[in-house]
Amino acid sequence: MESLSATVRVLVVGTGFIAAQHAAAVHAEPRLELAGVVDIDPGRAAAASRANGGVPWYTDLDAALAETRADGAVVCTPNDTHAGIAERVAAAGAHLLIEKPLATDVPGARRAVEAFARAGRVLMPAHSHRHYDYALTVQDVIRSGELGDVDLVRLSILGGWIWPDWRGWMLDPSRSGGHALHNGVHLLDLVTWWTGDTPETVHARGRRQTAAELEIYDYLEMTVRFAGGAVAVCEMSRGHRPASYARRDVLVTGTGGMLALPWDAESGTVTDESGTALLPPAGTDGFATQMAAWADAVTGAPATVTGADGLLAVGMGVAAERSIATGLPVRVDDVLKEAA
Amino acid sequence: MTLRTLPWGSSGLGTQDHQSDMYVPAFRAHPGFTLVEATGPAAAGDLTAAIRETGAQVVSVCAPPGERADRIVEALRAGCHVLADKPMAPDVADARRVADAAAETGLVCMPAHHHRFGASVRSAASALAAGRIGLPWNVQADFLVDGGDPCPEGELVNFGLYPVDVVLALTGRAVRRVHALPGRDPRRSTVLLLDHDSGLTSTITVGRLPGTTAPLGSLALHRYRISGSGGVMDVDAARPAATVRSVVGTRAAWHGDGTVGRMLTALHTAIVSGRPPEAGPADAVAALRVTDAAARSLALGTPVPIDPPPHDSQEDNA
Repeated sequence: MESLSATVRVLVVGTGFIAAQHAAAVHAEPRLELAGVVDIDPGRAAAASRANGGVPWYTDLDAALAETRADGAVVCTPNDTHAGIAERVAAAGAHLLIEKPLATDVPGARRAVEAFARAGRVLMPAHSHRHYDYALTVQDVIRSGELGDVDLVRLSILGGWIWPDWRGWMLDPSRSGGHALHNGVHLLDLVTWWTGDTPETVHARGRRQTAAELEIYDYLEMTVRFAGGAVAVCEMSRGHRPASYARRDVLVTGTGGMLALPWDAESGTVTDESGTALLPPAGTDGFATQMAAWADAVTGAPATVTGADGLLAVGMGVAAERSIATGLPVRVDDVLKEAA
Repeated sequence: MTLRTLPWGSSGLGTQDHQSDMYVPAFRAHPGFTLVEATGPAAAGDLTAAIRETGAQVVSVCAPPGERADRIVEALRAGCHVLADKPMAPDVADARRVADAAAETGLVCMPAHHHRFGASVRSAASALAAGRIGLPWNVQADFLVDGGDPCPEGELVNFGLYPVDVVLALTGRAVRRVHALPGRDPRRSTVLLLDHDSGLTSTITVGRLPGTTAPLGSLALHRYRISGSGGVMDVDAARPAATVRSVVGTRAAWHGDGTVGRMLTALHTAIVSGRPPEAGPADAVAALRVTDAAARSLALGTPVPIDPPPHDSQEDNA
């Protein structure tokens, strides 16, 4: 591992929508330095370079890794490319922070985990919600023991349509893995982290709420049963109306009490001509916190999110998609075993 | 018009005594009812004789669950309207028997599903029916009681009917499939995943928390979030209420009549107007079918279908 005083040089790979937030987090982290940007589209790569002070830009990942001799990469490419890119980063001996999901299927996720184990480098899937204030608060309260053993978790992250382009890859299940993998893994990972338990089954229900012709389910309800006895109901929606709807709600009950984090718990409301809405909460930047956690891991601390966590989340997401298709609960272990 | 009302029995599930704790005080406080009491030999256990002696027009039945359906039918056959403690019957077959008796006699038989009469639930039901959020496609509900005596039969049997009945009252969509997931202690908590007609889905948590510093047996959370094609509605069934903090703790002060008082007004209105009651035996049958299916689902570990009722059944209107 690198010494604490060394600067870790980082490539940002993929320069789409989410990359700017990761790049900003790299700039904000004193231990990291942006070594360059990579995108298969030269126009996008050049634009990202200009937006980041003229850092070198590349259209080929292997060339970028070789020429910059980067210590790490932050990968923000479409989901179906994740597993292959992860293997290439591991082969170059670099560390990796990779957007969720780790892969679009269990074999790909397993290949990535094994590649980093062989290389002895850090693999951290960007389950960014773990680094948000609300998620840390819930985790702290559960770990404090105040609630006793967790019995029930309800986590709802609901909103209207956010994707700006109907032709976007995230609406193509063959590229995104489906919505359970694209956004659903955030919730599946969170409730698993919070309970500290092993997920046994996922029973999911999905809707194409915005349009019947959608290929993904823009409303998901994923109910997870854990080996220790807890149950989690996870709702993920981009299909609510009005499209401006934004809601996050957490409920945890346990053998010792209850935690409620309702949608209006983080800031005040504003009422104007368009109705009543929550003012944007002025919380900590979760992307910056996540980047700091990755820098910690790269410089020798244990990773807060491991490759195994990412693999498990992929298995749960696959189980959710399969459950929607069959209408029956699916055992997570079966999904993980089938692919082994 | 004041209706002579005979309380009959004070048995419930476990240590419950809804007659003494809820119904008698509410009847006593309601201007539409006058409580009567049998004093002669009839008081010893002969319901028909007690009705004859008191001239009762309404019977509030809290007979032991095993004989409850028989007593309800007996009261109906004796010409009385009935308020029936929940569950109205221990199983669906008995509930249907009650429904048949009510239909034959033309008398009002109201299952005490009083939470559907809550002020916020009723206003939400009206707004939903009027299309304020378009076509409802999902309901998320929590019915979590804090403290109190655990029900020996489990909280699914005890509390489950309430939120299931409210979801049915709000949406009017019958349930066709039930998947129930047990909580850590299956007797204490259950999660119900329901598939309704017309593609509606609902998810209901039912349970009893261990008891915190909240008032004993109070509802820790009783809420419904309904998503529709045009918007979302949040229903906090604990409203309308003021919050009172004092040196002895914090409590909610309910505005106006509580759910039981509102239920009695609906009972009175149905009796004196002759209009169908807002809750009838078909509603009890519909809710019981769901909790029965949930119990089977818990035993099997899989989703359980509920067949559509016979075409001529009153449940079509549930």
